Amino acid sequence: MAAELESSKCLSGLLSGLAQDTFYGHPGITEELLRSQLYPEVSLEEFRPFLAKMKGILKSIASADMDFNQLEAFLTAQTKKQGGITSEQAAVISKFWKSHKTKIRESLMNQSCWDRGLRGLSWRVDGKSQSRHSAQIHTPVAIMELEIGRSGQESEFLCLEFDEVKVSQVLKKLSEVEESISTLMQPA
Amino acid sequence: MVGTLNRAMEESSEPQLDAKSKVTNQLIDFQWKLGMAVSSDSCRSLKYPYVAVMLKVADHSGQVKNKSFEMTIPQFQNFYRQFKEIAAIIETV
Repeated sequence: MAAELESSKCLSGLLSGLAQDTFYGHPGITEELLRSQLYPEVSLEEFRPFLAKMKGILKSIASADMDFNQLEAFLTAQTKKQGGITSEQAAVISKFWKSHKTKIRESLMNQSCWDRGLRGLSWRVDGKSQSRHSAQIHTPVAIMELEIGRSGQESEFLCLEFDEVKVSQVLKKLSEVEESISTLMQPA
Repeated sequence: MVGTLNRAMEESSEPQLDAKSKVTNQLIDFQWKLGMAVSSDSCRSLKYPYVAVMLKVADHSGQVKNKSFEMTIPQFQNFYRQFKEIAAIIETV
């Protein structure tokens, strides 16, 4: 292996580039870009398998959502393998995962959500004093606007009107959801 | 034109809704589901809970539509908290 590949100097940068491409979906992070930016002295033929190895390791760690014990065990095993990694490289990977774990996990969660998400919520409460359709006096109304959509796509703005009764009904449903969440989160 | 005494959360001298959507809908039904994403092809150990919501809404013409979306648990809790605020305010108006 080229000496440059063994050194862990640019590995952190490489892992960042891999994360951008694999998890955050940023376009344009090619093999050639990474090589020329981080390992310009290394040939593409030598760089390619090295990149694949690091990508594989990072994907394994992310896929298993490894905690720190699992991470240590996994990386130690990698250092003992034929054609594995050095313990210096293991340290860089470990540090990288510790600082990026949350963000990468969030990306993976987003990637697996195929329905639209709730991107925004705004509301106000109006006190209706009169109406063309009925003689309502002083009926408060909540107007809520939900922004629903996916990243990279135009959102739908859904405007809803609630009277006091409706607010109360929805609130009851939401408390049922909350109760379900509490039940789910209870330790087994 | 419905006359409204507008106690907007933001300062607004406009009597009309300053919402981005021009049409206000009535909520006919609110259905929810608490799901747990276990695993996917990009992540074998997802393990994250989410709240899926299906709203049945009717516009002024009476046309009914289904609108669905998902929320993470923190997003849901924010949604719930805001609804509680609305409930508290609507009682005092």
